[in-house]
Amino acid sequence: MSYRPKILAAPLFVVSLIVLAAHASFVQATSAPYPQRIVSLSPSVTETLFALGFGNRIVGVTTYCDYPAEARKLPKIGGFTNPSLEAIVGQRPDLVIGVNESSHPVKAREMERLGIKVALISVTSLNDILNSIQSIARWLGNPEAGEKLTQKIARQIDAVKKRVAPAPRRATLLAVGIKPLVAVGGKNFIDELITLAGGENIAGQAAQPWLNLPAEYVIAKAPRVIIEAGMGSEREQPAKRWQDLKSIPAVKEQRVYYYRSDKILRPGPRIGEGLEEIARLVHPECFAESQRGLNPGSGCEGSRP
Amino acid sequence: MKVLDRRKMILVNGVLLILLALSVIACALLGPVRLDLARAWQNIFAANSDAEILFRARLPRVLLGVAIGGGMAACGVVLQALLSNPLACPQMLGVSGGASLGGILGLIFFPNWLLPIASGLLGEISWVPLAAFLGALLSMIFVYRFSLFHGRLHPYHLLLSGVIFNAFIAAVIMFLNSIVDFYQAQGLLFWLMGSLSTRAYLTVAFIWAYIIFGFLWLWSKGLSLNLITLGEEAAMQLGVETAALQRQIFVASSLMIGAMVSVSGMIGFVGLMVPHVMRLIVGGDHRLLLPASFLAGGIFLCWADTLARVLLAPAELPVGIVTAFFGGPFFLYLLYREGGKKPAL
Repeated sequence: MSYRPKILAAPLFVVSLIVLAAHASFVQATSAPYPQRIVSLSPSVTETLFALGFGNRIVGVTTYCDYPAEARKLPKIGGFTNPSLEAIVGQRPDLVIGVNESSHPVKAREMERLGIKVALISVTSLNDILNSIQSIARWLGNPEAGEKLTQKIARQIDAVKKRVAPAPRRATLLAVGIKPLVAVGGKNFIDELITLAGGENIAGQAAQPWLNLPAEYVIAKAPRVIIEAGMGSEREQPAKRWQDLKSIPAVKEQRVYYYRSDKILRPGPRIGEGLEEIARLVHPECFAESQRGLNPGSGCEGSRP
Repeated sequence: MKVLDRRKMILVNGVLLILLALSVIACALLGPVRLDLARAWQNIFAANSDAEILFRARLPRVLLGVAIGGGMAACGVVLQALLSNPLACPQMLGVSGGASLGGILGLIFFPNWLLPIASGLLGEISWVPLAAFLGALLSMIFVYRFSLFHGRLHPYHLLLSGVIFNAFIAAVIMFLNSIVDFYQAQGLLFWLMGSLSTRAYLTVAFIWAYIIFGFLWLWSKGLSLNLITLGEEAAMQLGVETAALQRQIFVASSLMIGAMVSVSGMIGFVGLMVPHVMRLIVGGDHRLLLPASFLAGGIFLCWADTLARVLLAPAELPVGIVTAFFGGPFFLYLLYREGGKKPAL
């Protein structure tokens, strides 16, 4: 679960070899050396393409692709789970990129039958996300950009890890839906982000990546931090919603936050930024202003467990 | 028409009432997490996790489950009689679709408005169930208007307009679901799946008030319901004002269903299955069948929700999955067993 760039290098290399081998065929087949007309089937892929500097090669995005702002102006090819085959074909792409954890594998087969090259990336874990950034960069002929971006994210992750290292782990509930209560479970990159932020996901042992939690489980697990990340329609008053459960430390200590951000919900290039934002909620004392410039991390050593 | 057997009445309902009471206690004590009962009682009003698990997380939920299960079953009984159709169920009336649409619109446009009750003294309730209930009322009027045939409510038309209205509403909901943003769409789907999860005793009290009032009113029509199952003509000859009865039953059950769907979403199968099971067990006299179905529906949903909390713990299953999964085979078994003896329905 714990992430270190150096350890990552070896599996990254192996994975990238496999990916390279798997996609060597399409790289050879195209007359232009690298794909120039790309359709993205997911908001995180769109963000990655822009972050790598390939925004000008995108010819189609989903209706949910709203970041960066330029993505909104691109032609739409349908939703995330239900992209329109017709709209994709109409863009005459030389590469379509989708994610494995969606309906895309099914669509991919249909597109391949029509002779369109499709690449699917995995985004279940943090490693997956970093690997897929590098893969995309390589497919598009700029591996250095991939290297640079993943190193930047790795630095962001490291900085947060250093900050929260001295602090004790805080049991954390990250709710993505409120009525009914939907929490982040295990086997999910957000679960890893919670851990890296110095938290301990109270639903982390669950086999499902997202799960509907009964209130009694939250009471029994006594989280010290509750973050409502609002998948669904709940926007305000998170503290009010929990106020009847005073035995929960997060409620007693007023650590119930509303933090809705695609930075953590999307498995894209902004997860490093998102991680810092969650860490500031889980361990605000580690980010106290007075600690700026001091030896990072020394700020929360004195904090109560 | 047989005279009502008072001893059977007291025996059946007494046994069911005791079972219901035991179920409520058992379901409040069972769950995915351990509960220390002694600690829960020690200081109920302090910040005590055991007390909160028992009185905040479980008890309101169990009580809501009993009300919804009972209400759905009672509505199922009268609708099956009113429409002379064994497949009639609360989800069929059009009201449930209207309530869902109202709730969805509420979730999209004002998810966080709270309505203070008695200037906040009694707490606050969300506008979402109120929007759902408003949707139920409007669709009730709408369906009623389209079910009139030569100026009176016609069962056949009621069935058709209800089913078609619901299909139309389902399309509107799917349309809304595909234009809102991705995360919001997820939230809407979870809401639509239905859940008994609540911590608000105020909501539970509202629902109980509706259900009790509606149920007693339907029960008082038990004898007329018996007659109407003989056929409209026969009922009329026996002195039942069928037009008035049909109208009243439609309005009463619509109000009950609207209130239930507003709070707990679409929990299927209870309203369809429990009436049939109880008809096989206690017979078709509505004066007995109605209370027996009410109590049995309460017991059934209470246990179904407990299973929903426990089966995949810590994850909670949508309760509708449990009701269909356990209710379906049991119902088929009863049908099969009865089939050997005599015509089942």
